[in-house]
Amino acid sequence: MNKAYPVALAILVILLAAFPCIGPEVYYLSFMFSVFMYVILASSWNFIGGYGGYLSFGHAAFFGIGAFATAKLATMLQLPPMLTMLASIPAGGIAALVALIVGYPCLKIRGPYFSVVTLCFAFVVDLAVKNIEFLGGAEGLWLKFMDIPEKTSRTIMYEVMLLLMVVTLAVSWFLGRSRFGTGLTAIRSDEEVAETMAIPTAKLKIQAFVLSAFFPGVAGGLFAYYLGYIHADAVFSINISILIVLMAMFGGGGTWLGPIIGAVILTVVNEGLSTFAQAEIARIIYGALFIVVTIFMPNGIMDFFRKKGGKT
Amino acid sequence: MDAVLIIQSLISGIMMGMVYALLGVGFSLTWGVMHVIHISHAAFGLIGAYLSYSLLQYCGVDPVVSAAVSVPLLFITACGLYQLLIRPITRAQNIVMASMILTFGLAIILENIMALIWKADPRVLTPTYSSGALIAGPFYFQYPHLVGFGLSVLGITAIYLFLKKTYTGMAVRAAWQQPEAAQLYGVNLYRISMITFALAVSTAGAGGISLALLNSFEPHSHNLWLIYLFLVVIVGGVGNVIGTALAGLIIGVITGLSMAFLPFQWVNLVTFGLLMIFLIFRPHGLIKQEGM
Repeated sequence: MNKAYPVALAILVILLAAFPCIGPEVYYLSFMFSVFMYVILASSWNFIGGYGGYLSFGHAAFFGIGAFATAKLATMLQLPPMLTMLASIPAGGIAALVALIVGYPCLKIRGPYFSVVTLCFAFVVDLAVKNIEFLGGAEGLWLKFMDIPEKTSRTIMYEVMLLLMVVTLAVSWFLGRSRFGTGLTAIRSDEEVAETMAIPTAKLKIQAFVLSAFFPGVAGGLFAYYLGYIHADAVFSINISILIVLMAMFGGGGTWLGPIIGAVILTVVNEGLSTFAQAEIARIIYGALFIVVTIFMPNGIMDFFRKKGGKT
Repeated sequence: MDAVLIIQSLISGIMMGMVYALLGVGFSLTWGVMHVIHISHAAFGLIGAYLSYSLLQYCGVDPVVSAAVSVPLLFITACGLYQLLIRPITRAQNIVMASMILTFGLAIILENIMALIWKADPRVLTPTYSSGALIAGPFYFQYPHLVGFGLSVLGITAIYLFLKKTYTGMAVRAAWQQPEAAQLYGVNLYRISMITFALAVSTAGAGGISLALLNSFEPHSHNLWLIYLFLVVIVGGVGNVIGTALAGLIIGVITGLSMAFLPFQWVNLVTFGLLMIFLIFRPHGLIKQEGM
């Protein structure tokens, strides 16, 4: 690996961290916040979906569990606003715990069946949260907000989300180079063969699944705090689950860079289209984008450029 | 609990289940034969529903008659779409994934075209007999529900007979069970894939019309329909027509019973919870399939 790479990345991160200093409008801070959030979601989905080849269609469930757990912890423990943000870390832990319980039986199922069972799981969690009064039921939950100017609070949220993104990406990067990641890739290629090569497939899968639930959980907690009010529809929507998968696969699953590219492109395109075009037309163009990309780059953007770059 | 009420909701659950089975048959076939998970399948059903809505509203054509128009129309459209979109992605490493992303995009496009043409408010099919009902003893069946149910039973039977009795149907089954062997025996896989895809889309249209006779619909309804499709197809076993019909019945019984005993908002929760448990214990469907 080229030595210039880490330096360039470090400079990029510092530039991103310094971005609020030049005094951009709150709109740009919020926009970057959502870009970071989707990068986190797509990259952590990639642990199990990209490296392991187990396409989870229920990852919004962990995002939502994190959001609701944070809100509930904050209201029950009467946390001051700043500590609420920290409460998103145990909330991520709760999401990981749920992943452990659900993942144990579900990860025995392979292929599209795994996708459907996780899809069902996301629905069950969504409907359960809507029906349980303790979790706000159909009304949702309110969170206390910092009583400082909007711009300052948005800047804090921006920096915290950036930090979480850097941590997620570091984990993703190391995973791609570790024995753990190699084991997962072997599972994706052929699980039976991997098992005969003494790779503990069941253990690796559950570890990857739990890890890939933790980061969305924390991100969900931050998102809940950012909105100040959460409702099941905002965080458990099936569209979020599908979007996460699409972002990762769009960029190219199984690489650490792919989900980042996918998440950035799709968030920017979606935002740009909804600003400049009529809602329906914007969605039609957005849909056409998926079709064009799959036809011309059926194995993701990363794969397409790697083939162009490498002279094989 | 009132026995009449239970039986009544059981029957309406079964009717609903059969309609989902008709919608699901094609989905199951494209998945089984072509390894294409067709996310926009339900959106095509919705197009069928909207076409029959417009034909009824502006020309006074009965939904059953308009099915005879929109089903062949969808068949031809689907042939074109196959050549244009589906065939190019058959060379992808992971065709399941590529097809899901592509058809997800197609579903977004279709949904928004429908929203542009027919606007986003919910619609209902109101044929001339919509207010009538068949009263048998203590039970009460609305005519549109009966027609929708009849249409779906007819549709599933037709697909079943096509696959069992006709030469093309047998070729489709051969391509599903042993693609290489089928090719050696002179089955043109591309042609069979195109026919399967077009057939699936046209049955989706018929299923959409049946469903529109039972429920109201709007441009984004296809998302919920799609989830029921997955339910029916997984329980029935991918590529299995009889299994799909059976799964429709079972899911109908479950939703019917939970409608009778549970508050409305818990019905879906129970259905999806049961499916999850089912999948964990029997991931390959109800019926053991030969030749897979």
